[in-house]
Amino acid sequence: MALRLASRKLRSDISPIRSSASLLHSHATSFGYREVREEEKTRMVSNVFSNVASNYDLMNDVMSGGLHRLWKDRLVSKLNPFPGMKHLDVAGGTGDVAFRILETITSIRRRVRQSTFDDYLQDETRIYVCDINPNMLNVGKNRAVERGLGEEKSLTWVEGDAEALSFEDLSMDGYTIAFGIRNVTHIEKVLAEAYRVLKRGGRFLCLELSHVEVPVFKDLYDYYSFSVIPALGELVAGDRESYQYLVESIRRFPSQEKFASMIADAGFQKVEYENLVGGVVAIHSGLKI
Amino acid sequence: MYRTAAKRLLSVATLRNSSNGRLRCPYAETLIGGVSRFSTSTNPQSFYNQSHNEDQIPFPPVDNPNDADSTTSSSTSSSASSTAEGAGARRYQRQRPRIVLGWTQEAMISGSRDIGVSPAIVGTFPRKEAALVEFFMDDCLQRLIDRIDSGEDLRSLMPSQRISKLVRIRLEMQTPYISKWPQALSIQAQPPNIPTSFKQRAMLLDEIWHAVGDEASDMDWYVKRTVLGGIYSITEIYMLTDISPDFRDTWAFLDDRVKDAFDLKKTIQEAKYLAETVGAGMGSSLRGFVNRVFNR
Repeated sequence: MALRLASRKLRSDISPIRSSASLLHSHATSFGYREVREEEKTRMVSNVFSNVASNYDLMNDVMSGGLHRLWKDRLVSKLNPFPGMKHLDVAGGTGDVAFRILETITSIRRRVRQSTFDDYLQDETRIYVCDINPNMLNVGKNRAVERGLGEEKSLTWVEGDAEALSFEDLSMDGYTIAFGIRNVTHIEKVLAEAYRVLKRGGRFLCLELSHVEVPVFKDLYDYYSFSVIPALGELVAGDRESYQYLVESIRRFPSQEKFASMIADAGFQKVEYENLVGGVVAIHSGLKI
Repeated sequence: MYRTAAKRLLSVATLRNSSNGRLRCPYAETLIGGVSRFSTSTNPQSFYNQSHNEDQIPFPPVDNPNDADSTTSSSTSSSASSTAEGAGARRYQRQRPRIVLGWTQEAMISGSRDIGVSPAIVGTFPRKEAALVEFFMDDCLQRLIDRIDSGEDLRSLMPSQRISKLVRIRLEMQTPYISKWPQALSIQAQPPNIPTSFKQRAMLLDEIWHAVGDEASDMDWYVKRTVLGGIYSITEIYMLTDISPDFRDTWAFLDDRVKDAFDLKKTIQEAKYLAETVGAGMGSSLRGFVNRVFNR
C-alpha cells in the first residue's frame, strides 16, 4: 500500500511538468520529461550514451536482472536469420543483437551443411551495425575482438544516423533496432528510412521498453523505475542523470498500439507486436512487401 | 498483399521440396519441372496488378516460362543465368539440378528467392514448416473439390466405388512428394500443429462424404467419418512403403478396406435385424409364459 501511495505521489509530482510541457513551442521535442529544442536532443542523447558506454552492459544486466539477454534472444528468434542475409542493426553499438544473429546463422549453416546453403551464401552474409555514437561502437568492436570475431568479414561497423541511413534503397533483408528508437528525435523519419533500405519481403523488428498496463505490476514497475533505477545508476555507474533520462524517455515513448500504427503508417504490412514481461518491453514487427 | 505473397511463396516452396527419385505419377514430372506453369495457376497477374496499384515495384511477371527461368536461375545460382531462351519444362529440369529440400524452412527460403522476395519473409510464418504442409493440404483439398465439381464420371459410380475413387484422387496428389511425406506427417503430428492438421483432415473427410451424397445428421455421421478417417489414414501410411508400380498395391488395399467397411455396415445391419427378430420371438414366448402364469 505504501508503495502504491509512493508511486501515486510520484505521478502527481510529475503531472504538472507534463501539462506545462504541452504549452511549449511545437518545434520542441522531449528529452525525458524535459522539453528541449530538436537540435539539442541529439546532442543531449549523445552525451548520455557517451557517459554510459563503458558501463552499458553491466548496467543492462543490473537493471533488467539479466532479462535483456532473453529479450534479445527472442528478438533474434523472431527475426529468423538465414545464411546469405543482409541485415542492418541500428543503434546496436555494443553488438549484442548482431552477435546473436551471427551465431544463429552459423549454427544453421552447421546443421544443413549438405543442402543448398553453400559456402558462397555464407560469404554473402552481411551484418551492418549502425550507431550514431562512436563510443558505443568502440565498445562493440572491442567485444567482437574478445569473442574472436575481430576478423569476421560478415560484421561491418558503421557510424551513422538512423534518420538518414547511408545504405542504398532495397538493400537489406532485415532491420532491427533494439532499445534505440526511443532516443531518436523523429521516430517517423527512422521508420521511413527503415522502409526505404529494406528489400521487398524484408522485415522490420523493434525491441523497445514499453508501457505496462497490468494494474498492480504497473505500480511496482513505476516505483522500480523512478526510485530504484536512478539510485542504481548512481551506485554502479556514478551517473544518476543519464538513468533518470532513461526511465523518463520510456514513459514518453508512444504506447504499443500507437507505435504499431506509426509503423503501419510508414508502409509496413502485417504489423504485430508482442509484449514481454507484461509490457516492460515490446517487440514490434512489420513486413515490407 | 501479404497473403498473396505468402501464398505464392508457399506454392513455389511446395514444388521445391518434391522428390527427384521415384517419379511414378505422370504429372509429377510436369509439377517439378513446370514452376512457371504452376505459379500461373496461382494467378500472378492479379498480384502484379495489385502491387502496381499501390505504387510499389511489382514482382517480375512469371506467366512466361522464359521469364520464370531467368529469375529463378539468377536468384538461385549465378552460373546458370545465360540460358533463358526457349526453355521448356523439360529443358528447364535439365539445367537446374533438382534439389530435394523436403518440408523445411530451406524450401521456403528457396521458394521466396524464386519469386523474388527476401527470404526474411519466412520469419513471418509463426509455425514455419507447418505453414508449408498446411498450405499443401488446403491446396489439395481445393483441387479435390474442383475435381468433384467437374467430375461427371463420379456420379455414375456406386457409393463404395465413389469413396475409394475420391480417396485415391486425393492420395495421388501426394505421390510427387511421397519420399518426403513421412516428414510432412511428422510435422502435422507435432503438438502445436495437431489442431490444424486434425481440422484439415476432418474437412477432407466431410468433403468426401458430401460428394458421396451423404446427408446423415445423427450418430451415423460420426461413425461414418471415423470409419473413413481410419481408411484414409491407413491407406496413406500403406502408401509410404508401397514400391509397386503406380502404387497398384495401395489402390488394391484401399478398395479392400472400403469393401470391408461396407460389409461391416451390412453385418451390423443384419445383426440388428437378427436381434430384433430374436427379441420379438423372445417377447412373445415370454408373454405367453406370463399369461399362462397369471391365467391360472
